[in-house]
Amino acid sequence: MTIATLTKPWQAFSYGFLDASAKRELRRKMLKAIAVPGCQMPYASREVPMARGWGTGGLQVTLTLLKPSSVVKVIDQGADDSVNAASIRSFLSKVSGAAETWDTLAATLIQSRHRIPEERLRADQVLVLQVPNPEPLRPVEPNMSVARQMHADADYGRLWLILYEQIVRSGRIMQGASYPALVNGRHVMTPSPIPRWDLPKLHMAQHLTFLSAGREKRLYAVPPFTRVEPLVFSDVPYKVEDHAALTCHRSGVAGYFMNEIPQDGGGSVFELSDSHLGIKAIRRRDGEDVALGATWYENGKMPR
Amino acid sequence: MAYVATRGGERAIEQSERLYRAELGRIDAARVTAVRQTLPMLIDRVMGEASLYEPDLAALALAQSGGDLYEAVLLLRAWRTTQPRLGIAEPVEQEQLVTHRRISAAFKDIPGGQILGPSLDYSHRLLATGVLQGHPFEPRPVEPAATPAPARQPSLAAWQKAQGLVADPPRAEVAPDDIPDLTREPLLFPAARAHTLQSLARADTGGMLALGYSAMRGYGNAHPTVNELRLAEAELRVRHPRGTVFSAGRVKVSQAEVMAKGKSGLLELGFCATLGWNEVKVISGATLDLNAPGAAKGSPVEEEFFLYHTEPVEASGFCIHFKLPHYVTFQSSLDALRGARGAAAPIPEQAPEPEEVTA
Repeated sequence: MTIATLTKPWQAFSYGFLDASAKRELRRKMLKAIAVPGCQMPYASREVPMARGWGTGGLQVTLTLLKPSSVVKVIDQGADDSVNAASIRSFLSKVSGAAETWDTLAATLIQSRHRIPEERLRADQVLVLQVPNPEPLRPVEPNMSVARQMHADADYGRLWLILYEQIVRSGRIMQGASYPALVNGRHVMTPSPIPRWDLPKLHMAQHLTFLSAGREKRLYAVPPFTRVEPLVFSDVPYKVEDHAALTCHRSGVAGYFMNEIPQDGGGSVFELSDSHLGIKAIRRRDGEDVALGATWYENGKMPR
Repeated sequence: MAYVATRGGERAIEQSERLYRAELGRIDAARVTAVRQTLPMLIDRVMGEASLYEPDLAALALAQSGGDLYEAVLLLRAWRTTQPRLGIAEPVEQEQLVTHRRISAAFKDIPGGQILGPSLDYSHRLLATGVLQGHPFEPRPVEPAATPAPARQPSLAAWQKAQGLVADPPRAEVAPDDIPDLTREPLLFPAARAHTLQSLARADTGGMLALGYSAMRGYGNAHPTVNELRLAEAELRVRHPRGTVFSAGRVKVSQAEVMAKGKSGLLELGFCATLGWNEVKVISGATLDLNAPGAAKGSPVEEEFFLYHTEPVEASGFCIHFKLPHYVTFQSSLDALRGARGAAAPIPEQAPEPEEVTA
């Protein structure tokens, strides 16, 4: 036996870029995150070959989950070919050999910034959301040490207070995206800046969701079949964006979250934010045999 | 397929990067050598912020990023984090440092003496425009002192401790493997002392100066006096698996101790050290460290505040991320804005509308 038989040849980078010690730490923290839904787990958050704030938290979780048989989809604002999504997807396939896809139905692993696909995710799929700010208490308590104590005490009164103040001042809750939600009846989390439209998709979902903030070094999870309830008052129901009646001017599809495209001379047209759903709808309209998955929303409404 | 044709992100990002790199041109070993030899202070700054002491790699990162410091630091950090941790060096005491420069503003003279060493502090900052007109700037030769200063110098704080002027906190004996490592663990608060010092060591020089300067101007409680500032080389002593401790070379280090009169009646010290020679950084860092105990939450001299906000990779990354599209979040805010404008009066008493979604 020689030393050479006991060692592996030198490699510039490990499989999936992250080295084994980084992956081990991430896996432990991911398991903890599943065990305590919605609770933020601090992790070392290694530097990756991408700038902080550009999906490095999501990237680390995705890199840890990747294997050669994975089929990976990356979206930014709902679009697969958005510049940063394209960059992340090509990095993921380059370092892992995983297949790339735009199709939600074909993906085993979906990394997303600011959207959850409109097609329902299955139990065999994992969603990884990129999180800029993991702390729902940040608007009321910028100090992380104090906020951590407030989570420990389930001290969420000030979050309710700002929502109440919005109603008093503006006549409605003004929270746009990142609507705070109570997970499993215990921890309030921010669902990342997904629109309010997407938050109900996390409630009692079949799939596992990881939310990871690389810059802030926190990750948390919503395991399958977990309650995710937006903070609302019993007499003021949760309101999603008023998009149910909008129609995509490219595909003709209606009843989903839309991008508004301002037009010359005033007015707007709308297009599906979930870009690949739009592509599939156009192909089907043009006579191709394309499978569209069941969607969370039906006719612009989320079934109870 | 008209839906796709209006986009085309992959080609755009490829060409965008080519456009940037076209400006920098070909990068070869000669360019990297030139960067390393001509810009030692910049190399030191980048090595400190990257927490990776490797002048050749630092020069390569600078050449590759065209001198964008945040890009260079990110390149080095992303490379560094994939490398195995082979060993932990023996602790270095101040008295063991091979000292090039060591000054104190607290006393006219100190045990061991003031050693100016290399410095531009007293130079007249006149731009050598002659160089551009064909007259190279030849530095005048150094005239060595008759008796060289001893390479190893005592610690001033040790003298002050012996005089009972400075508090001498109890030493914690920590096994080398148990020293908390910021590159492998998250920074949590209240921070471990090792994490605080590591975080200061790899902080952004400019960011640290901005916050340190705010404390010096009066937003801190304590006015710093430079007790001791050192530029030195530290022996990197590592243990061979057979047990022999040997020197694996030297690294340039800077360290600053600043002090102020504390509430206890003793002098209190703030400390900062970093890889490479970077005086502005260690004086600013030590000033923040001095002001940190008991600082109000949210003040710039509070540990959580300055450690979070001087992290170069995180701060610069988050700043440039605002260039990414945010139209989904904006659409969501726009919806709330239009909804509020449409609502005539506060509606808390209204009954739930049937078409709304409840989770």
